[in-house]
Amino acid sequence: MSRVSAGVRLAAPMALVAASGLLLAGCGVTESTKAKAGSNGVTISVTDDGCLPSPNSAKAGPLTFTVKNKNSSHVSEAELMQNGLILGEKENLTPGLSGSFSLRLQPGEYVVNCPNAKNDQATFTVTGKSSDTGTADESAQTAVDAYDKYVNNQAKTLVARVAPFVAAVKAGDIVKAKSLYAPARTYYEMIEPVAESFGDLDPEIDARVNDVANPKQWTGFHRIEKALWQDNSLAGMGPMADKLSADISKLQKLTASAKFQPAQIANGSVGLLDEVAKSKITGEEDRYSHTDLWDFDANVAGAREAFAVLQPVLQKKDPKLVSTINAQFGTVLKALEKYRQGGVYVNYSTVGAADRRQLTTIVTALSESLSKVAGEIV
Amino acid sequence: MAVSRRGFLGSLGLAGAGVAVASCSKDDTASDRPAKAPGGSGTVPFHGRHQAGIATPTQDQLAFAAFDLTTRSRSDLIDLLRTWTTAVVAMTSGQPVLGDSASDQVPPADTGEAAGLDPNQLTVTIGFGPSLFDGRFGLASRRPAALADLPALPGDQLDPGRCGGDIGIQACANDPQVAFHAMRNLNRLALGTASMRWSQLGFGKTASTSAAQATPRNLMGFKDGTRNIRGEDLATMSKYVWVDDESGQSWLNGGSYLVARRITMNIESWDHDFLADQQAVFGRHKVTGAPLTGQQEFDKPDFHAKDKAGEPVIPVDAHIRLASRENNGGLQILRRGYSFTDGMNARGQLDAGLFFLAYQKDPKQFVALQRKLGSMDALNEYISHTGSAVFACPPGVRDGNGYWGEGLFT
Repeated sequence: MSRVSAGVRLAAPMALVAASGLLLAGCGVTESTKAKAGSNGVTISVTDDGCLPSPNSAKAGPLTFTVKNKNSSHVSEAELMQNGLILGEKENLTPGLSGSFSLRLQPGEYVVNCPNAKNDQATFTVTGKSSDTGTADESAQTAVDAYDKYVNNQAKTLVARVAPFVAAVKAGDIVKAKSLYAPARTYYEMIEPVAESFGDLDPEIDARVNDVANPKQWTGFHRIEKALWQDNSLAGMGPMADKLSADISKLQKLTASAKFQPAQIANGSVGLLDEVAKSKITGEEDRYSHTDLWDFDANVAGAREAFAVLQPVLQKKDPKLVSTINAQFGTVLKALEKYRQGGVYVNYSTVGAADRRQLTTIVTALSESLSKVAGEIV
Repeated sequence: MAVSRRGFLGSLGLAGAGVAVASCSKDDTASDRPAKAPGGSGTVPFHGRHQAGIATPTQDQLAFAAFDLTTRSRSDLIDLLRTWTTAVVAMTSGQPVLGDSASDQVPPADTGEAAGLDPNQLTVTIGFGPSLFDGRFGLASRRPAALADLPALPGDQLDPGRCGGDIGIQACANDPQVAFHAMRNLNRLALGTASMRWSQLGFGKTASTSAAQATPRNLMGFKDGTRNIRGEDLATMSKYVWVDDESGQSWLNGGSYLVARRITMNIESWDHDFLADQQAVFGRHKVTGAPLTGQQEFDKPDFHAKDKAGEPVIPVDAHIRLASRENNGGLQILRRGYSFTDGMNARGQLDAGLFFLAYQKDPKQFVALQRKLGSMDALNEYISHTGSAVFACPPGVRDGNGYWGEGLFT
């Protein structure tokens, strides 16, 4: 599957794991176990021709994939996928570089994918029984279940909120569509790293004009945002609205069959805050509507939920980090509150440079703390 | 701390008397002298009576930053100083910031860009601004009387965004990436406790602080710092640079005051000034660096010499006359500044100049000099002071158990 190199995609996407394919153990295999697990190692050699795994099958359980770019200047990444979902990947491997990722895999057929290669897909088979896969730590399992439920709920609400927005756009009702734009997006922004793991879906839903190679193929929320706020015309937006509706439904279906690993949940929360720092505080995301604070709020809410489900696991390992992070979330929420008037956020263009700097400072501090969580819960 | 294997400074160590480079006096045997001129590789010891980065030979590159505390907790401040000290001990000895997790699901403790690079004589020096003593951290009674914001001075065109700060940190190395790496990692370690208020990168030292160093040139093309205090000159360092017990604050004993001034040069105007005038502005020959009354760089300026017309050879408003110890009651400061450029300004001119750093026993030394220079110096036509800060730099950390500014909290 080819991927649009949209800027909206995070460097470290939260890979999703098909329910059928993977048990949710904290399965980030540490360096030391990697060394020992010689028999459980798979090497994926990337060349211009393709990406062949060696061996091309393994027994169910924890597996470490080492991706080596031998000499290809065209192919720089490899992904392990199942049913169209990226389970694990290593990117940005220039010739001579290698990198690894670890997963706990259930029996089944998987695909190794390396975009831009002549044969960009190879098969990988996991044998054995599900019971060989190993079991997850109980509290980690609780966290995983809770986050899973959260994502599904947000995705359902997203579908429900996008429907009237799409209807207003198709009806040519600019005033109504404007009023529904930010509240609908909220539910997307809460789970954005999840959407980003579905390849092209995030760019199609959420790209900005400067993210797409061909502006004529620009679709999604921000295309309609421009029509509403800059062009003041919804002419030609009917098909855009239909496509957004279809993409959101697709997202909801995909999330329904997706599950996560604790480390991915933790690093997804970091990704959400990096979104805040990179595109919300700058005012880049909602440049026509200046509704960035709605997205900001939603990103923080999503990060907070991700942290909340992990907190019981982390509490046992590093209570000090828990209290630091909770205090830092409090600081961010308090700062956001300042911009809420009568239940709605102010137009972001009214937020001055000194205030934006202050917001950056507290969000960056929180993000740094959250980046330490994954190491404690795997 | 594995320093002795790296470079010559490590083997010399920090003498109890307080010099980093102990072997440069004339009567040392050749074998005790530096194997090569400063500007090279290796480490400068972090631990000692004084902080490194003051008397130690000036490196070529600077990364400077002022920080404001975002916490109001005294224990958070102490934790930060401990964390920073540990990181600086590692980085100045050529090690990465330590503390990596066994998991690859978290970021590395060190940002990584200095891996494989020589330490390049990295020094990192800390100072505390007046605002740190405002009562947030229970330090009001520990503020030395001399530590206060500088008064308004002639020549000031200060940008508030480039002034002040609770804490100042100077990172110097002979490789810009090593200096930047140090500052970047300290900034990262401060997240949640302190945030950067302003920062300045500098390239090209504009003053030498050791007799073993050649005199560098500033962006006006003149040799700068010819008559600077040398770190090896213990008597002068003691008289004008190191704080003794006169501050009434024992925590500062062995420290120094740092004055930082961002001095913007009107480069384009300067470049259009004719040579004789450029030389008259400084009071020196541009090529040789010799005073207008001499032939060699280190010839002593003769401020009494007159030309045929009876006018002083070194003009009355020449920079070296106004700044000289002879005309300031013997007053001296240790200059350790760097050239800087931040690209260009909004008017399309080069935004460049001198990031002036000076260490002294009391900030009033700088104030006295600048009151005179700022009102009379012929150089004023070509410069303006656009940033300003003052910091009290604590003494060095004696050993591996200590941390920066420890004396403030005991």
